[in-house]
Amino acid sequence: MLSEPGHYDYMPWRRRPRITWPNGARIAFWVAPNIEHYELNPPPNARRMPWTRPQPDVLGYSWRDYGNRVGFWRMADVMSRHGVRGSVSLNVAVCAHYPEIIEHCCKLGWELFSHGTYNTRYFYGMNEDQQRAVIRENRETIKRASGQELDGWLTPAISNDETTQHILAEEGIKYTLDMLHDDQPTPITVRNGHLISIPYSLEINDVPLLVMRNTPPERFAAICKAQFDQLYEEGAESGTVMCMPLHPFLIGQPHRISALDDVLRHVLAHDKVWLATGREIAAWYTEHHLAEAQSWIGAGTP
Amino acid sequence: MKGLPEDYLHYPARRRGMDHEIYPFRALPQTKRITWPNDARIALCIAVHMGHFPLDMPLKPFIAPGGMERPYPSYWDYTLRDYGNRIGVYRLMKSLAARSLPATALLSAVLARRYPVLMDDLAAAHWEIACAGFDMGRLHHSNVPLDEERATVQEATALLRSRFGASVRGWHSPAHSESGHTLRLVAEAGYSFTTGWANDDMPYVMTTDAGRLICMPLSQDLSDQRMLHQQHLPTEDFTSAILAAHDTLDREAEAAGSGRILVVPITPWLMGVPHRIRAFNTMLDGIIARGNIWPATMGQIADHWRAQNPN
Repeated sequence: MLSEPGHYDYMPWRRRPRITWPNGARIAFWVAPNIEHYELNPPPNARRMPWTRPQPDVLGYSWRDYGNRVGFWRMADVMSRHGVRGSVSLNVAVCAHYPEIIEHCCKLGWELFSHGTYNTRYFYGMNEDQQRAVIRENRETIKRASGQELDGWLTPAISNDETTQHILAEEGIKYTLDMLHDDQPTPITVRNGHLISIPYSLEINDVPLLVMRNTPPERFAAICKAQFDQLYEEGAESGTVMCMPLHPFLIGQPHRISALDDVLRHVLAHDKVWLATGREIAAWYTEHHLAEAQSWIGAGTP
Repeated sequence: MKGLPEDYLHYPARRRGMDHEIYPFRALPQTKRITWPNDARIALCIAVHMGHFPLDMPLKPFIAPGGMERPYPSYWDYTLRDYGNRIGVYRLMKSLAARSLPATALLSAVLARRYPVLMDDLAAAHWEIACAGFDMGRLHHSNVPLDEERATVQEATALLRSRFGASVRGWHSPAHSESGHTLRLVAEAGYSFTTGWANDDMPYVMTTDAGRLICMPLSQDLSDQRMLHQQHLPTEDFTSAILAAHDTLDREAEAAGSGRILVVPITPWLMGVPHRIRAFNTMLDGIIARGNIWPATMGQIADHWRAQNPN
């Protein structure tokens, strides 16, 4: 067992090389809808049972299924009304199950990146060849369904194993979301190839907030706005990233959707915001700031 | 029916006072009057839990709050805790420095080796360093052999004293957990105070075979770890609870004509995230606005208390 992931160096939150975003923006704001399919009868995994009740877990299954039938469409409407594109954390099997959803995402100009094949197929215990096969198949499926390259990755349920990040880099993935260690992109150390991390969030993610922490919609919106206000202020010193991860089965419920509208309105009321996708943030950081971050780390983060 | 063994209804420690010899009972109204510098009513101590949680930490006999609750390798838990030591703590340093408030770090000793740059920044911020064990994976409990526990206390102490010297005088056992030997081992290692027994608002003396320790107050009931992480309460419930505690303690101090202590236990991976730091700042401003406070480190408060309670 590893005592630490070993993929990133210590970077204290002071005197970092300054990050600048396009057009003088202070903050790169990106929305990551998790468009998922949880199987009705998934195989077991030694480290995690997919469902809490005996299969078929009708309540658990149908709650998630609501996201694809109803929640997604409602959420996509609110986002497009504000001109906010999504970067989809996609269970790639959705391309086969619900091509209507993929078509709609493409029509809206959203990025698709991989969140594995199904949210019920964990990476825990997969050997390297199996992980590699899933990544390659996901790349081909996304290309076929949308014409897009696969640049980003979030392991289903953050179930990555010890070697996952290395394989991602070897398979040409450009950015990973499996680590929550920072409010800015950071270099990631891998055995071959190149990989960076860009900030995802489990702090203002609707699953931890709404399900685990029992947060009412108005407070959910207030927390997201507080997160934005602080990162926007700090972005004056050096560009920050705020990710707003969403799950259509939660945020797309009729009693919650106005919270999303409220947050997006707040964000768009500020002028130094870069409404970006994951791919755009990763590309900008890699081109303009990665080398400087690496040399700052090399110099001992003075 | 056989029932329970006969000695189940024997009560060998049933007597006036405690059922152990570590300290005597003391009721709050019996505490000796104490004065703080400038006749402040409240000694304010910001106690910052700075733990390191290894990815492979043992999950027995229990998981420390913030530990690896999800299947190995839990990047989720590991990286969110690590966020506190690279980002969150710097936000807290900035907030406290802007208000000239000192702090006491309850520090996993391994951080001195892992993040020497952070140690330099804590020293520059004049934070007091107290030892919170080796790391959050090495808990102190009764199944740890004595020699092993002694080695842990000594290794942790050596790590911090080699960086911060004799100023490391305070001990906090990770996750408020101790074996029956911990206090003696801590006294043996030359500490003058310990904090983690959640049984008083005021200091008192603990006696061990290796000498005496001052036990300093440190709430778990009123901490961000319990309220925000374990109970999942909203941030404002914690900050209002701190202000309510301040209100009560301040009025008691005035009525009793004796100083009280407000300890604010906070955690960088909780209070140092963007969506909470403003609520933290507002809370600090509320405490300051009430006035009559003496902001101090835990060690300074222990020294003042000791000077007025020499026995």
